[in-house]
Amino acid sequence: MSYLNNPAVVMDNGTGLTKLGFAGNDSPSWIFPTAIATSQGTATGSNKNKAQATGGSNAGGSNPYFGNSTSATSFNNLSSQMLMSNNLAGKRGTEDLDFYIGNEALIASQGASYSLSYPIRHGQVENWDHMERFWENSIFKYLRTEPEDHFFLLTEPPLNPPENREQIAEIFFESFNCAGLYIAVQAVLALAASWTSSKVVDRSLTGTVIDSGDGVTHVIPVAEGYVIGSAIKNIPIAGRDITQFIQTLLRERGEADTSLRTAERIKQEYCYVCPDIVKEFNKFDRDPEKFAQYVVENQEKTQKKVVDVGYERFLAPEIFFNPEIASSDFLTPLPTIVDQTIQACPIDVRKGLYNNIVLSGGSTMFKDFGRRLQRDLKSIVNNRIAQNELLSGTKSTGVDVSVISHRKQRNAVWFGGSLLAQTAEFKSYCHTKKDYEEYGPEIVRNFSLFNMV
Amino acid sequence: MLQLKPYNLLIQKTVSEAVEAAQQGRPLALDRIISDFDYTTFHMYNTAEDQAGTVYLSVRTKAWQSVLQCGGLLEYLQEVYSGCTGVTLLQQPEQGYDLTLALQLTSSPTEDTVLQLSLLKTHIMASPFKLAFKEFDVLKNVPVDPETAQLQQGPASSLFAIQYRDDETIFIKPANDRITVIFDTVFEDETDKIFGKVFLQEFVDARKRNRSIQSAPQVLYSHERPLELGSSNHPNLQGQPSRGYITFVLFPRHFQTQEVQLSSVYQLVLFRNYFHYHIKCAKAYMHSRMRYRVNTFVKVLNRAKVDDDDNDNQPAAESSTGATSTGPTRRTATGRKLVY
Ligand SMILES: Nc1ncnc2c1ncn2[C@@H]1O[C@H](COP(=O)(O)OP(=O)(O)OP(=O)(O)O)[C@@H](O)[C@H]1O
Ligand SMILES: [Mg+2]
Repeated sequence: MSYLNNPAVVMDNGTGLTKLGFAGNDSPSWIFPTAIATSQGTATGSNKNKAQATGGSNAGGSNPYFGNSTSATSFNNLSSQMLMSNNLAGKRGTEDLDFYIGNEALIASQGASYSLSYPIRHGQVENWDHMERFWENSIFKYLRTEPEDHFFLLTEPPLNPPENREQIAEIFFESFNCAGLYIAVQAVLALAASWTSSKVVDRSLTGTVIDSGDGVTHVIPVAEGYVIGSAIKNIPIAGRDITQFIQTLLRERGEADTSLRTAERIKQEYCYVCPDIVKEFNKFDRDPEKFAQYVVENQEKTQKKVVDVGYERFLAPEIFFNPEIASSDFLTPLPTIVDQTIQACPIDVRKGLYNNIVLSGGSTMFKDFGRRLQRDLKSIVNNRIAQNELLSGTKSTGVDVSVISHRKQRNAVWFGGSLLAQTAEFKSYCHTKKDYEEYGPEIVRNFSLFNMV
Repeated sequence: MLQLKPYNLLIQKTVSEAVEAAQQGRPLALDRIISDFDYTTFHMYNTAEDQAGTVYLSVRTKAWQSVLQCGGLLEYLQEVYSGCTGVTLLQQPEQGYDLTLALQLTSSPTEDTVLQLSLLKTHIMASPFKLAFKEFDVLKNVPVDPETAQLQQGPASSLFAIQYRDDETIFIKPANDRITVIFDTVFEDETDKIFGKVFLQEFVDARKRNRSIQSAPQVLYSHERPLELGSSNHPNLQGQPSRGYITFVLFPRHFQTQEVQLSSVYQLVLFRNYFHYHIKCAKAYMHSRMRYRVNTFVKVLNRAKVDDDDNDNQPAAESSTGATSTGPTRRTATGRKLVY
């Protein structure tokens, strides 16, 4: 069979954004919201939530296929004229084919006849019907591949139940007849992606991954490629919460435009992490240059609204470090959580975990995020060491804390997958269709680890 | 949505991005693999020295060898891309690829040029169809012997074969009043075989039932080797009883003008992909019905479930508190708890 020459397909389906592409590339070919718009008549859709009302503001029209999304809930172009009609509305018995995914779904859901839903919640697939159709469309329409000719690498969140893996295998082997399948844990891929950073000297699969995407932030310790499941911690603060926090601030000030869309753009373009909030407030008061303005244009570019951007520039990402400013039930700062996670791991791997803290996901993209985390974590660790020295009277050798930021951070999971899937050995680690038919779905409960150097 | 486009969306997107970036003075470093159906791989790249100048697009496709054998491929591609300013076919393709095109970014390529680039694979497949259309024009003028209904003399019509997958081939046979396009298909998966059969049967029947699509080409499906293939001894035609043949009969109205020709070719070239896509969609639909069924069964089972620890604790709870505080939970006559 000549599928040997075909590139493997790497798919990272996140809560907010789906990253699709071919192994060996340095960036995903497609990035679009993990959203599906199904026709209202469908009986199978179980959780239908209404399209999020994104304000009328707009920055020019564009093709739904072009550009890479950075937002899961909004798309530049809200007019549905761009959408190719699928001519299915009137035909009987084809309701299951009447759907759109990605940016097209966001556009379609503006109309009355489609409802939008996000099949992945908190990283895990919730609605398999929708997910199966989402995959079907992404494989055939966007990637233009015949799944029988390609190997696939899929990702899963930490602590994904093995039943979910089996479901994935059933869909990929039985519906799509894919040639081979590998399901990798996102955190391990993020570690592999960090090898591109010049700061990483040894290519080990030991480290702590901080993966912060749209819905949830995970702190995951990985030793020699194995996730230490008992020590994983998650924080209910991620991209969506930060956007909402900015929106609240804008509303309180009574800005001209307070849509989620605007809040998200402000977050991505203006926010950064500051070393000290009190000082930063003072800086803003002394230096009005720090205040920025964001201009929102409507679709026809006839009206302009000006939104002032103020303290939220540094306050929003500050939620990670001082959660009390936004939430009342979750109060532990991120550096403390990271410290607790590592302390919950076996003592002999802790050094390696402090040494190699890797960032991944869109919400770690704030400027100086890594630097602040490293500083705060270092002071926690140093305090503890000092106390131990005082109590025991012995001298400690010290612990090296190092947080690694790198260029591929935003799509680290996908990029790590692309790195692994382009190696010559990748196919021997996959389970093939033949294996699946021989052993059944439980075969995907175990995948051997990559030990590539 | 079931629609597949004849052009490769990803090439269109990537080239447009490269063009736009170069125009804004921030050229992209490109080195991308892009894939397409039927063992087709594209490589889009540029060199570090000339990022703002040239983008290369290489293609490797399974069909290349057989299309090349039909003849006229390079001339045809030359003709197609001569209409696009800034596009040149390189004499020497990139190592490991069949063909390399170069796009001059400085020539400010139009949207149509980008579209033509993303149609590259389709154009390669279209070349034998073009030959068949040409041959038809010759054949249709050859007089027919009224007695035997055979062509009197003249060139024997050729049979063009596009081997686009390992063991699947498209045959194109021009005649004096029609062009026959035959897909020979074979399924690897048993389930697919059945789905495929049902689907093809429906496909054949649809034309008979639906008046509005009478003008579409006639479709035939059989396991018998179609007569049009004659005595051809193409390797794919040997043995293998599970082979199916799907025949499309194109009449002159399907290739009268340039536009109609193009759209016929687009549909035919994508036929196998649509066909398999459709089978997969059908399976996905079955799966969703199965999930729905299982869910309803589980609901029924849950209703019959006896709440274990509730029953176990029952005597103890009653003796200690006297009146049970089961509250709003309703019970059947037999004392079972109702679970919804
Ligand atoms: N430059 C940026 N600065 C801040 N936030 C950003 C930036 N770019 C993207 N984001 C945010 O990152 C989030 C998407 O991140 P990502 O794609 O990693 O999530 P995901 O993989 O879909 O979700 P998850 O990993 O939780 O399942 C969005 O909330 C988006 O607003
Ligand atoms: Mg993610």
